Amino acid sequence: MMNRDELQERIVAILVDDFEFENPGLTDNLRDDHGFDSIDAIELLAKIEKILGFQLAREEKEKAMSIRTINDILDYIEAIQASHHS
Amino acid sequence: MKRRVVITACSAITPIGYRRSDIIESLQQGRSGVKPLHDDGLLTQYIHSRVFGTVDYPIDYGFTRKDTKTMGPVAFYACQVAKDVLAASGLEQEFITSGRLGVSFSSTHGSPTVQRNIYKTFFSQLQSEFSSIGAVDYLKSMVHTTAVNIARMFGITGRIIASSTACTTSSQSIGFGYETIKYGMQDAMICGGADEYDTTTVAVFDNLLACSVDYNDRPECTPRPFDAKRDGLVVGEGAGAVLLEEYESAKARGADILGEVIGFACNNNGGDLILPNLDGITATLRLALADADIRPQDVDFVSAHATATKMGDVIEAQAINAVYGSRPLVTGLKSYMGHTMGSCGAIEMILTLYMMEQGFIAPTLNLESVDERCSMLNHVRKITNTETRIAAIQNFAFGGVNTCLLIANGREVGA
Repeated sequence: MMNRDELQERIVAILVDDFEFENPGLTDNLRDDHGFDSIDAIELLAKIEKILGFQLAREEKEKAMSIRTINDILDYIEAIQASHHS
Repeated sequence: MKRRVVITACSAITPIGYRRSDIIESLQQGRSGVKPLHDDGLLTQYIHSRVFGTVDYPIDYGFTRKDTKTMGPVAFYACQVAKDVLAASGLEQEFITSGRLGVSFSSTHGSPTVQRNIYKTFFSQLQSEFSSIGAVDYLKSMVHTTAVNIARMFGITGRIIASSTACTTSSQSIGFGYETIKYGMQDAMICGGADEYDTTTVAVFDNLLACSVDYNDRPECTPRPFDAKRDGLVVGEGAGAVLLEEYESAKARGADILGEVIGFACNNNGGDLILPNLDGITATLRLALADADIRPQDVDFVSAHATATKMGDVIEAQAINAVYGSRPLVTGLKSYMGHTMGSCGAIEMILTLYMMEQGFIAPTLNLESVDERCSMLNHVRKITNTETRIAAIQNFAFGGVNTCLLIANGREVGA
């Protein structure tokens, strides 16, 4: 189970390397500031599954649709990790 | 409302070259783009035909990830030729996104490379891999992937037409684009087709005994349209796009007019889905003449479908002879590139435009000894310098679909 700093490092690296984000900030709006769209969201969820090491349930994926910032992504992953370890 | 429709830009990626000058040089020097079949690690070992019309040169696409995330190889080809025609056209961005420009473009399968990867994942039975099949794979492999990726890349908001009818895919794209403008539904259309390197198609035709197998050690000697020693078609890859515009607005903005689409016809044989049909093809050629309101003797050049199958070429020769007699020059352009499937109609129209503009007609490559059943035609056997006023581009597809496009030389337009 990764801590928040480790998660942040992984997610920012993915956004820069795979999604071509430039200078991502934790509170940037993913769509407005970086052109992140619905297709990117689905691709990112597949990458998050790889980080977590398990498949997300449908209802867990649906919760991801309210994500707007990198902080939201980190909150989301932390919540999933916590629920799977509780 | 019936409006005139002109061609104001074109671009093709073909086994004999990409840039206009490369393609013209290949035609003038008799250079073949047929190469040995690549080993795909899957089907190649079972295929008897070992030749393929191959695009083997690098292409500098310059697309960003934003563009490419929904694109398989076929969409790369399609968007590249679409980018070329828009750049050459000089159309204003305001017009491109106005809704008055549409896209009529398609391919035979979407992207078979992406589809193959989906099946590989599916049969791997690894749950962790299975989840990697996603929306993007569908967007890359759906049959209208080329048309919508073009629309997305350039912000085009007009009509989308994605006719997918195998070998008549892009001739239909151009024909339907022509009709869309002619009847006032759009003012301009990007039309064409593309297909990527794909051994599945080779395997299908190979199993039907329709592929060339006798020249595996001499790829450049096949296909051989109308030749007595032809032994079948050669599958190829490529893309072609033309920009069609309403004549008055194209003239008003000072666009280069490369040619005019003056007629189009499309019908079905109404029966067998594989065998060529003399009545069906003959009817198509006559319907196109009627649409253009011209006489058979007005047509100077016929770009024959001529895949080099044993019966297809004979039936087509009979149809050409029945409609035109022996007057027009006839060339089978697939002899240079193989059968580029969904892109063949567009590519053959573009090559015809290049030849019309340059004042020559290229011969059918590998036509050494004309099959006596095809000998009633005026086959082009060597580079022929001539003024072509009107040309016919004819294509026929599995499923019994036939098309014929009639185009006039750009120099004739408005004359």
